[in-house]
Amino acid sequence: MQLFASLFNAALLAILLQNSIFERALGPNILIYASRKKEHVIGFSLVITYVTTLSSVLAWVLDLYFSDFEYFGILMPLLYILVISFIYILSLILVWRFLPKIFGRIKAYVHLSVLNCSVLGALFLNTQFGSALSGYIGFGIGTGLGFFLAGYLLYIAHPRLNSDLVPAAFRGLPITLVYVGIISLALYAFVGYATR
Amino acid sequence: MITPKEQPAEVRTLKGRPSDGLIRQNIVLMSGLFIGPVIAGATDFESAAAISFVFAFITLFSVALCRLVPRKLVYTVRVIVYAVAASALYIPAYLSCRAIMGDAPIIKAGIYLPVLVINHVILSKTETRFYHLSYMQMLLDLLGYIAGFVVVCMVTGALRDIFVNSAIGPVSVEVGFEIPALETTFGGFIIVGVLAGICRAIYNYTQKRREPK
Repeated sequence: MQLFASLFNAALLAILLQNSIFERALGPNILIYASRKKEHVIGFSLVITYVTTLSSVLAWVLDLYFSDFEYFGILMPLLYILVISFIYILSLILVWRFLPKIFGRIKAYVHLSVLNCSVLGALFLNTQFGSALSGYIGFGIGTGLGFFLAGYLLYIAHPRLNSDLVPAAFRGLPITLVYVGIISLALYAFVGYATR
Repeated sequence: MITPKEQPAEVRTLKGRPSDGLIRQNIVLMSGLFIGPVIAGATDFESAAAISFVFAFITLFSVALCRLVPRKLVYTVRVIVYAVAASALYIPAYLSCRAIMGDAPIIKAGIYLPVLVINHVILSKTETRFYHLSYMQMLLDLLGYIAGFVVVCMVTGALRDIFVNSAIGPVSVEVGFEIPALETTFGGFIIVGVLAGICRAIYNYTQKRREPK
């Protein structure tokens, strides 16, 4: 029960309080690309959930043994990139070998959904919070679900954000960023904000 | 190896122009290829300077190095080589940044410094653009992209510093009022969104004026 509670708490933290897009702005460019198509939102979210969850387990092992090492902070990006790359290559080989149809569908964008700031940032945040293994796994799952939430909210607004009602200069990227900013502002209610 | 004749026409005519990366294809305001660290990391002038420095260092040397990776390697492996090279270069970038600027801006920038190793100038532009240019042209073009990011990051950091701390770095700038929410992530989204809109409006206006009547 304790394990499940820790996992659930970490997942909730990653979805609402530390949402990779709305709170941390990790990978909004990938989100904007993915939100154009429903299947991309689902595909990207699934891949991000899968990679962050598995990477978090390996990151937990690395943190357990090397976090006291003086230069761990500087080496962290390299170590985590190696972890993500290992999972990426291994998974791609398995999908290519056993699920060739799915491989054909995802090969065009899989590298974008694996090598992005959302995935790498989730590992850094996990290390920063430094919880138990269940917390790492929960945060990994939550990061993917948080990305899906952001992706879906952007997908349903996509036609309006690109419509002729928006002035030409603001159509597309600028108005999308303002829209994400407003949702981010709404989610701040969970965190609370105090002026100095 | 693709011969020049086999390349698509638009690639054959591609020329490295620093103005492309600086304005027309600015990776923050025009194409939105890499915006996260500007939105959430560049919360003041000092952290913007640290992010700009580390980004410039990593991107310049990574692309210069990765451009030499043979295209015979499959893309899946190439893209990993790019990411590993960038993350290895983070070590000297971080140490140089700390030696020049001290610890404070690095602590302020937080996780937005190490996430710079996964940037789409290295992962995507190397493939879609830099491989099609001669090495010298590529360096010139790359400098334009780096300058484009640095200018936007510094401007965003300076604007936030003015409206949040009434200063630009150590220099006091009194504007008579404060907008503390600008240092938050939602403030960052809105400020970068507005800057992108203004930049596009100016660009569209100048392009229209250039068109023959």
